[in-house]
Amino acid sequence: MDHGTLEREIHIDATPDVVFDVVSNPEHVREWWTDEAEYPVEPGGDGRIGFGGTWVRFTVVDAVPPKLFSFRWTHAEGETAAPGNSFLVVFELEPTATGTRLRMTETGFRERGWDEAKIAAEYADHVSGWDHFLPRIPACAAKAGAAR
Amino acid sequence: MSTAVDDDLWSAIGDPTRRRMLDLLLTEGGGTATSLSEHLPVTRQAVAKHLAVLDRAGLVHARPEGREKQFRVDETQLARAAAQLADVGKTWDARLQRIKRIAETIERKKK
Repeated sequence: MDHGTLEREIHIDATPDVVFDVVSNPEHVREWWTDEAEYPVEPGGDGRIGFGGTWVRFTVVDAVPPKLFSFRWTHAEGETAAPGNSFLVVFELEPTATGTRLRMTETGFRERGWDEAKIAAEYADHVSGWDHFLPRIPACAAKAGAAR
Repeated sequence: MSTAVDDDLWSAIGDPTRRRMLDLLLTEGGGTATSLSEHLPVTRQAVAKHLAVLDRAGLVHARPEGREKQFRVDETQLARAAAQLADVGKTWDARLQRIKRIAETIERKKK
């Protein structure tokens, strides 16, 4: 696994049409992620998302209902979203017998340096380092607590 | 979007070599740049640089012992870093759970 990629997959008991709308429509994005979201749901659609008064650039890369929605975010004002200046989030939707399998990846951590999302990826996916010593943390923490 | 973060701390453990070094220091109960470099595919000089980064982040402490500095992991600081990482690692999981809940609610209302 590439350390620079965060990957998740979940099953949702809803049709791909519904799931596509939830992951892509700014109205729904405001429900599950941001405080504000303003962008056209179309390839190249440029806009912004807001968190508690702070705005972050947001550009739609691909929008293929009800299969694929991807966007880049966190590129600087005045820059065009591209690898190296932003994170790429890709939602892939696949119909199943009872609903939709939603696969999410976020990439760009390695290029961006250390960031929230990189931590998430590193923490969740790193195989050798973390898996090796994270299980020991509770013991370390307990010991550290007792030493105080 | 973000919790209060300690950039130094996070960037210190963002590097796989440095995580491996922490791991070795925990396993061995401590070590020097020389002893660590014997277990790693990097030079003693590189190990010394990584140790300096870890030291600045408060993740290791040095004390002189013989000709070389002996390093130990600060377990309190490491536990603190791990707790922060665990929080942030959950953010996409939480978002996806909300996506699931919203979509399934809409689906039920359609019927």
